[in-house]
Amino acid sequence: MNDFLWSSGHLGWGVFALAVFTGLWWLLSDLCWRLQSIPIGRLMVALITGWAIGVGLVLLGFLIGNR
Amino acid sequence: MTILVLQIVILCVVAVAIVLWALYFPYPSPLIRRWLPPRRRWPESQIRTWLEQGGFQRAFLRHFYSDPERIAPPGNSMLAPADGLVTSAEVHGGVRYLVIALSFWDMHVQRSPVSGRVLSVESHGDGFMDGEGREFAFLREKSCPVQKRLVIATDAGQVAVRLITSLAARRIETWVREGEQIERGQRIGRILLGSTVVLELPPAVNLLVRMGDRVWAGETAVAEGVTSP
Repeated sequence: MNDFLWSSGHLGWGVFALAVFTGLWWLLSDLCWRLQSIPIGRLMVALITGWAIGVGLVLLGFLIGNR
Repeated sequence: MTILVLQIVILCVVAVAIVLWALYFPYPSPLIRRWLPPRRRWPESQIRTWLEQGGFQRAFLRHFYSDPERIAPPGNSMLAPADGLVTSAEVHGGVRYLVIALSFWDMHVQRSPVSGRVLSVESHGDGFMDGEGREFAFLREKSCPVQKRLVIATDAGQVAVRLITSLAARRIETWVREGEQIERGQRIGRILLGSTVVLELPPAVNLLVRMGDRVWAGETAVAEGVTSP
């Protein structure tokens, strides 16, 4: 798990990928919200689901990469 | 060390993007504006705030003052004098008034609906209910104090284009003079932050648009039966 946060003198790729993905996902969600007239409830569900899937993929990639 | 620096730079870029998002919320961040259509890029509430404060974003003003080329359709049909929505086409006192309401995001350059000679360029009203303002109160619920009326003589009668601006703006430019021969679709003027353009037609013309239709200045045919073939 230490490699997740810090690895060989730089940020761990896991936490780095999570931070970048979360930021970009947030901005992308804002763009989608402005381009399409969808109810805020549906947008929040899509936002959270997408973010959870993304985080899952990042963690999975990290685990596979560190086997 | 290089990887760490690279990571920090990338994180800083993402952080700046999020800070910009937060600073501009609920309006779009400058980073995403270019991908949004004009109505979403500058929401109405933002424009109204600018109106109250008297300052506008430069990009909005560039859009507002843009003057794209228009290609008039072939034929003799009468063209829309302005971009906007047709809100009324009523007949009052023997004249059919085709009212086109402009939004903040429409191009504000007006074009001649027909070829002909400019008979007069009249200025009306400096305060609502003065002069002709009273007669045309039915055209729009809000006050419309500043008006310019261009009367154009065609081979088959007269038509008039009335440019009406809002209380906040009070500025209309006209680019044609009395006696000037103008072409169908030619630029005739511009309303600065204006709201309404009214085409005054003989009641017998055959209207090609209905209430709620979207029209484009110099491109959309709105009526037939005025200009001789």
